[in-house]
Amino acid sequence: MTTTSESTQPRSALHDAVTARGLRKTYGRGETAVEALRGIDLAFPAGEFTAIMGPSGSGKSTLMHCLAGLDTADAGTITVGGTELTGLADKALTELRRDRVGFVFQAFNLVPTLTARANITLPVTLAGGKVDEEWFGQLAATLGLQDRLDHKPHELSGGQQQRVAVARALLTRPAVVFADEPTGNLDSRSGSEVLGMLRRSSREMGQSIIMVTHDPVAASYADRVVLLADGRLAGSITDPTVETVLAALAKVEG
Amino acid sequence: MLQIALSQLKMHAGRFVAIVLAVLLAVGFLSATLMVNASTTASLVASVGQDYARADLVVSPPAEGAHLSEADAAAVARTSGVAESYAEQQLQIQAKVGETTIGGLIRNLPPSERLEPVALTSGSWPTKTGQVAVDAKTAAARALTIGSSLELLPSGASSSAHEATATVTGIMAASTDPQQSWAAQFAAPADTLSSLAGGQAVYSSITVAIAPGADGATVASALDAAVHQAPGSVMTPSQKTVATIKSFTGGSDRLTIILLAFAAVALLVAGLVVANTFSVLIAQRTRELALLRCIGASRRQIRASVVVEAVVTGLVASVLGVAVAVGVVALVVALLAQNPRYQYATLAVPASSIALGLAVGTLLTVLAALLPARAATRVSPLAALRPSDEPSLRRVAGRVRLATGVVLAALGAVGLGIGAAKGNLLLAIPAGAVSFIGIVLAAALFVPRLVAAAGLLAAPAGVPARMAAVNAVRNPRRTTATASALVIGVTLVTMMMTGAATAQTALSSSLDRHFPVDMAVNGTGGVPFTAQQLADVRALSGVEASAVLTPVGSVQTHSTPRAAYAPVYAISASDAAAVIQSPADRPAPGGIVLPRGATATPPAVSPGPGASGSVDPRSASLAGTAGTATDLPALVLPGTLQARPGQLPQQVWIAVDPKLDGSAVATLRTQVAQALGVQESEVSGAAIEKATFTQVIDTLLLVVTGLLAVAVLIALIGVANTLSLSVLERTRENSLLRALGLTRGQLRGMLALEAVLVAGVAAVIGTALGILYGWLGAQSALGTFATVTAVIPWAQVVAVIVVAAAAGLGASVLPARRAARLSPVAGLAIE
Ligand SMILES: Nc1ncnc2c1ncn2[C@@H]1O[C@H](COP(=O)(O)OP(=O)(O)O)[C@@H](O)[C@H]1O
Ligand SMILES: [Mg+2]
Repeated sequence: MTTTSESTQPRSALHDAVTARGLRKTYGRGETAVEALRGIDLAFPAGEFTAIMGPSGSGKSTLMHCLAGLDTADAGTITVGGTELTGLADKALTELRRDRVGFVFQAFNLVPTLTARANITLPVTLAGGKVDEEWFGQLAATLGLQDRLDHKPHELSGGQQQRVAVARALLTRPAVVFADEPTGNLDSRSGSEVLGMLRRSSREMGQSIIMVTHDPVAASYADRVVLLADGRLAGSITDPTVETVLAALAKVEG
Repeated sequence: MLQIALSQLKMHAGRFVAIVLAVLLAVGFLSATLMVNASTTASLVASVGQDYARADLVVSPPAEGAHLSEADAAAVARTSGVAESYAEQQLQIQAKVGETTIGGLIRNLPPSERLEPVALTSGSWPTKTGQVAVDAKTAAARALTIGSSLELLPSGASSSAHEATATVTGIMAASTDPQQSWAAQFAAPADTLSSLAGGQAVYSSITVAIAPGADGATVASALDAAVHQAPGSVMTPSQKTVATIKSFTGGSDRLTIILLAFAAVALLVAGLVVANTFSVLIAQRTRELALLRCIGASRRQIRASVVVEAVVTGLVASVLGVAVAVGVVALVVALLAQNPRYQYATLAVPASSIALGLAVGTLLTVLAALLPARAATRVSPLAALRPSDEPSLRRVAGRVRLATGVVLAALGAVGLGIGAAKGNLLLAIPAGAVSFIGIVLAAALFVPRLVAAAGLLAAPAGVPARMAAVNAVRNPRRTTATASALVIGVTLVTMMMTGAATAQTALSSSLDRHFPVDMAVNGTGGVPFTAQQLADVRALSGVEASAVLTPVGSVQTHSTPRAAYAPVYAISASDAAAVIQSPADRPAPGGIVLPRGATATPPAVSPGPGASGSVDPRSASLAGTAGTATDLPALVLPGTLQARPGQLPQQVWIAVDPKLDGSAVATLRTQVAQALGVQESEVSGAAIEKATFTQVIDTLLLVVTGLLAVAVLIALIGVANTLSLSVLERTRENSLLRALGLTRGQLRGMLALEAVLVAGVAAVIGTALGILYGWLGAQSALGTFATVTAVIPWAQVVAVIVVAAAAGLGASVLPARRAARLSPVAGLAIE
């Protein structure tokens, strides 16, 4: 267990699922301008499960949205799976999200009119591709969703809904899965199920995962924790435990 | 609560645009209708009144179309209290100015200027035979000045009428009376008129100036007695003006009623759009309303806040609607007044049209918002605490409403069926209306199902298409209301189209029973057509065949109740085959074809008028058969009978190219008349009648479709509105989809398909209903005197569906663009 305060240097993009260099983002203008990101250099190695933590308003969500191509940064470069995002048009960004990125949000993850199965396969079918049935079956089995596949979201529990979202994120074997507070709305048992799933997919399938959370327990499932404060990197923890995370947070907030 | 309502309006002004537009259009329509009616009357008062403006009393003929006699004029003049009287005689004439002949009216001059209706602008009034005054408009158009001479030709057929040459001595102001203003107007001394008329003078009215000190009412009753008429035929000028206007605005009143009916349809559709918009607005606000209830707002307060929103919106929309109506009607009147024929057009904006527009518009909005407002009061305070993403979706229309709808639809259908079978329009119209109301009420039963079924067709187009299909019926109630508004408009449009086409065909076939040929031309008695004339006719394009019928004599067709005769013509077998439509109307050897319904047997053919002799003995041995047409002369083959035509004219019968349209037939008629040297009125026949009423029906159809288009337009605003509100509601969902990889194009396509599904299904339902109603309507209206077979104007019907679906597509453009513009992050951030 090591705690470092210098920023992690980006390595070659080939070995990294996601890289960011010199990332800046400002909301608003003039007096009301908020600098959400003030120069972030980060690399997320392929196959790693990283948690991003920090006090409220530190820029976690903004960073994730920029990395995922949901929002554009003012300055800096981002690569996802070796593709440079800077300057991509909306259509190309959309297709990149569809084909190379998976998402798990805190809430409102699923399209209410579609069944669990249709929700899981949505990115593939949107691309007009063919669903890898074997992989789908394996995912459904692992996530315990086999007999829930024909249910609509409102007929599923919160934990089941999040597991469906995880299955959807993993189905395309994306370069990276982004998860924004994936357990924020769940009780602790359902939460640990989902987190365990994410860790297994990283360990066993080599899936790169970037998760935003404020929960030290959730963060302890990750391989590494990256700390943000005031739009800047404020350190990182490898092989985090609840205690080390709490200590680091206390330092950042204090 | 008032504050909350107003803040809603301010914050979400955009969401009320559709309500404002819909109510604006409907109110504008209603107010404009009332203003058109008032303006028409005002215009007529301004123009018709001119004739009587200077008189104290007016004596009118006993009945419409009757006249006053010389004796009446004398009696009026003798009546005590009458200082002066002017018996006005008016003749239709033709005036030859140089080489051109124009149609005109000539009237006699009053005994003195006291009763002269128009002013002299230059020269002097005619005083002697051979002098004439002409109106300023005609003088300018025909370059007539004081001293010009012209020829006046009688247009009647009386043999004792004479033409007259006259010199212009005065130019007078042109009359604005719509009964005169179309024509060139002349005024001359009475003897000029009597020579042009060639008979006893008859008067259209007698205006009277009463002696100073005489009592108007006493003189009026004395005049009534003098002309031996029922009391009331003597009127004051203003009474007379009103009566005259009434006599020819029977049409205008009817027009107002018809327009009001269309305004009612527009209002109904607007009401649906308003109700729908409010229920969507309230569904979106469920959380907020629940929060208000949590912190202590009463149900009554919640309802009041919704009603306040409705009142404000309705009032704003109605004010705008009335303003637009005033603007449009004022513009139309101003444009009309530029045309010399309608220079008397006067704008009238009665207070009632404004008040009614405002009241109806506001009331409509409030009434339409009442049901949604009740739904708002049902929101439970707990709803604020429930994390419900979906505002209560699966609520189906009330059972009572559905049951009422089904019962009304069934009852109406039975009534309509009976009405159609019996040809009873008075039963069919209300029954049809009841059944349609029933169908609209019960629409929730089938509209969502049909939309879902149509969505299946789109499924193969991919996931966005499948989602569009699901979204289209996500809220069955909203879908039903949106579609219903469109169904109403489309049904009525299609009904009119089908009804018109069916009626046209039915009338055509009934016309064929009156007229055996497309065109028949009467010649002049005793003067045969020349070979050149006949060749000219045959050479006209549009003439498929022509035949000359030679007069033979006349045949008695009926002996009871009175003896009746028809002319007998000879036509060769080949000519008959070429120009006579029905084989039953073609003469056979040894036979004579009599008009339909002829009862006289055996046939007795006597000489034509002016020829001497007795019944041809050979005619008794002819086999008389009844033809299929009533306006058929009797027909024999040439040489069958001895020809003794007398004054009977030759006839030329023409088969016309069936592909000619109305105006082509009218042109052909003129050409035929010219080629044969006869008046156009001598050219008659089925083709001409058909052309005339085809034109009438087509014009009516165009007008009606234009009027109903307002209702369709309002409904389409409803489609756009529902979609944009749904898009607002689904902001997060759409953002999620965008985050997961739905491209902007796919999102736009998804929303477009959703709109097209709803609009398209509504259009299909509407056209199906419209065809049914149109056919049954035509059956009810014409069933008693014509054979009605449903005629579906496919081209028009398909056009309606395509236009409605395309308009649905158009309606999705703005909402879809707004949805696509939203970045996924912005949508996901909304809590
Ligand atoms: N759309 C926005 N407009 C203006 N400021 C924003 C917006 N989104 C985030 N911010 C600001 O940027 C900073 C970082 O926000 P965010 O990335 O959401 O932080 P976190 O997710 O760590 O709580 C905050 O100060 C926040 O107020
Ligand atoms: Mg956040």
